[in-house]
Order: sequence, then structure tokens, then C-alpha cells
Amino acid sequence: MTEKVKNVLLPLCFGILIIAIWQLGFIHAALGFKPFQLPVPSQIVITLRDNFAKTMFDTVITVSAALTGLILGCAIGFLIAVIATMFPKWGYSVLSIIAAVNAIPIVALSPIMNRWFTDGFSQKVGVVTVVCLAAMSINAYRGLNDLRPFAKDLLESYAASGRVIFLKLRLPNCLPSVFTALKINVAAAVMAAMISEYFSASTSGIGFGIKDNLRKGIMAKGWSYIVVAAVVGIILYLIVMMIERRVIKWHASQR
Amino acid sequence: MDKKEKYKVNLVWTACIFLFWEFGAFILDKVLNDPLAEAKLPYPHSIILSITQNFTDLMTASGLTFSRAVMGFTIGALVGFGLAIIMSLSKVAEKIALPYLIVSQMIPVLGLAPIIFTLVKDMDASRIVIAAYITFFPVAINMLSGLNSVDMDKKELLYSYAAKKRSIYYKLMVPFSLPYLFAGLKIAAPMSITASILVDMLGSKGGIGVKLLYSLYSGTKDVFWASVVTSALMGIISYFIVVLFEKIAIPWRRQEAN
Repeated sequence: MTEKVKNVLLPLCFGILIIAIWQLGFIHAALGFKPFQLPVPSQIVITLRDNFAKTMFDTVITVSAALTGLILGCAIGFLIAVIATMFPKWGYSVLSIIAAVNAIPIVALSPIMNRWFTDGFSQKVGVVTVVCLAAMSINAYRGLNDLRPFAKDLLESYAASGRVIFLKLRLPNCLPSVFTALKINVAAAVMAAMISEYFSASTSGIGFGIKDNLRKGIMAKGWSYIVVAAVVGIILYLIVMMIERRVIKWHASQR
Repeated sequence: MDKKEKYKVNLVWTACIFLFWEFGAFILDKVLNDPLAEAKLPYPHSIILSITQNFTDLMTASGLTFSRAVMGFTIGALVGFGLAIIMSLSKVAEKIALPYLIVSQMIPVLGLAPIIFTLVKDMDASRIVIAAYITFFPVAINMLSGLNSVDMDKKELLYSYAAKKRSIYYKLMVPFSLPYLFAGLKIAAPMSITASILVDMLGSKGGIGVKLLYSLYSGTKDVFWASVVTSALMGIISYFIVVLFEKIAIPWRRQEAN
């Protein structure tokens, strides 16, 4: 028990210390910032409270696009991984090509989507889908194919069909990697949606809120949006973790 | 599947994609008669043509973006490496830092680029800060997991020789963790390029991101697609540069294709 308390207390104290230093203006002194450039935490919280309704509205806009793209991207990515598993000889190379897609900067995708779609929502969903697709297909493929030695041989010696091997061995085996991909993707999805908003036609959303308020020079508002974005990222991540605990209780990482 | 076979398959796929793209562009252009066909999906051969025509221009721009990314990447990698060593030396430091490392991964960091930019006010400095920040997380986490997975009996052997802490790290821990470190670097390299391009787009002078941004507001006859392909290549090349360094740094480890 004492060990557990220590695990929580140490980081917590550190965090409080940092916020206190920031609040009391030591950071400004050290780096030479003016208070209007880097608002103190209390100011950010007050700003957030005053504009809560608008901020929430913007958050819903961004998160809905992020989640739509996340679901689309993960579904397509998983399908690609399954098809690549069915045709091992040709499938392996598809994954290398997708790994190359993964190296394409998000910021380059944004303008492409702007040319394909006219409304902000589809532009965002397009960017998020491509971003999530790559991580999911690479991880899922790994999970579907890195089987425990002899497990496949055993099933084959029972004359199990390919379908049975897929359902009873490959599918459960890929769940941990699928969750790894999901964890990567929830943060990436929010990030991609935000970045897309910097350059897309949307006039609402977290990214737009940050861009707009910085242009007007209202730093505290911009910072309040950032706090919200961080909180949203953490909440989504925790949701994935909770589902993971439920679904793969049997896996070593959960013990 | 031997190497030659793999090479063949890759070649076939690449050709297939090229042809498929040509076909798609043709459909859009000639069959559907989309007036924006050239902007939405140009013919690949015309993109290649555009790259060769604007080659010096693109190279200068991407060179600018790339060199700044390398700076941030190097700083971030060093900080991540140092942090991992500190965390493995002291359990208290690990307990304090690890939760924050995990949380910082959930935060959309790239989205903060404009904020950092307005704070730092200097294009190059903010670029380096963001690229470094993005790089340090995967490096620190991977390196730490490497340091933590050194076999106990190896350590005990060195203890029994009365080896100092420094030589244990120098001779055992760090060499053992190098593969893990490079796994982190491979993730971070394309990300730092992305960060650098994003900062370009926020209002830098020169750099490939400026070309991308400019094309948003200009007509169809531009170097937009050439810039997109160039930036994609930059991401891929950065990955392979890390792989090359890995081959030099860990010659004793047979390269696995991953």
C-alpha cells in the first residue's frame, strides 16, 4: 500500500511544484516572457470557465471528426491487415508500402484533402482516416502473423481449416497489437483533426479556436483550448485502456 | 521468401500503384471530366516532370526544412537518452517522470505548434523546440525499456568482477539497449520532419512547407503535388537514414526486417 501511495504522491507533488512555479512567475523571469505571452494557470482556468460553452462546442466539432476518422481508418487498416494475411507472399509488401504512407507528414495530407473535399468536416475526416489507417494495419498485421511457435502447426495437425485458424488463433492473438494501435491512434486522431483545422475551411473547432485567438492576440483563450485538447486526449486514451482491460484480461501486459 | 523474391514483389507492387494512379487520374480527367482533375489527382508522370523542372528550387526548400529538423531531432534524442539513463539509475526519478512522459504522449503536441511559435517568436528556435519535444518521448521510453530488460545475471556477473557503475553502463547496459534506442529513433525521425514542415506552414521564410501552404491559395498550375511528394520522400528518407546509422552502430546484430 505504501508503495502505491508513493507512486501517486511523487508525480503529483512534482506537478503541483511546476504549476506553483509557473503561477508565481518564475518561468517568466527565467525565460524572459511577458505575462500576456504566457498566461499563468489561474488566468487560463478563469478564461476557460468564462468561455466554457463555446469551448465545448468547438471541442465537440473536432472530436466528432476525429472519432469518425478514427473508426474509418482503423476499420480499413484492419481489413488491409486481414487481406494481407490471407495472401502472405503479396501481402507482406503491401505493409512496407503502408509503412511508407506512414512517413508522409500529416501537414502534407491536409492540403490534399482540401482539394478533394469542400467542407471542413470531410477534410478533417479524410486526414484522420489516412493517419489512423497506417498504424492500425501495421500493428494488426504483426498481431495476426506473430503466432506462438507450433500453435499453427498444432491446429493444422487437427486438420483445422484456414477459417478456424483465423478465428481461434490469429484473431485473439492480434487483439493486444490492435489495442496498441488504438492507443497510438486516439492521440494521433485528435492531433490530425486539429492540424487539419489550421489549414482547412472550417470556422470552428479546437484548432481553429487556437489559430483564431492567437491571431487576435488573446493568448489565455488559446491556452484554454490547449488545456481542453490535452484533457480530451487523456480521456480518450483512458477509455481505450479501460476497454483493453475488459477485452484482453488474459494478456501478460494486463497482469 | 528470399531477398530476390521480395525485391520482385515490391517492384511489381510499385509498378501496379503507379499504373493504378495513372488510371485514376485518367478517369478523373477524361471520363468524369472533373474541371479540377489536375488539382485533385494529377498524373504521376506530370508530378515527376514537375519535380525535375523545379528540382533546385525544391531541393533548397527541403534542405532548409530538413536541416532544421535534424537539429531538433538531435537535441531531442540526446535529452531522451539522458532522461532514460537518469530514470534507470534512480527509481525515484522514474516514478516522477514516467507518468508525465505517458501523459505527454496523449497530448496532441503538434497542435501546440502555433502557441510555441508565438511564445518563442523565432522561427528556427520554435522549430527546434517542437522537433526536439516530439523526438524525446519515443526515444526516452524505448531506451528505458531497453535498459530495464537487461538480464539480471549479466549484471551480476559484472558486479562479481567489482565493476563500477559507470563501466557497467558503458560496457553492458547501453550497448544492450541500442536496438531499443534505434526503434525509438525510427519512430521519431519522420515525426520531427513533420514538425519542421508544420512550422514552415505557420509563416516561415523558405522551406518546403511554404510551398505547400502557398499552393492552398494559388491556382492549379503550381508545384503543390511535387512538394507533397518531396515532403513524403523526406519522411521516408529520414527513416532510412536512421536505419543506416543503426547498421553502423550495431553491426553485431543481424538486421531484422521490420
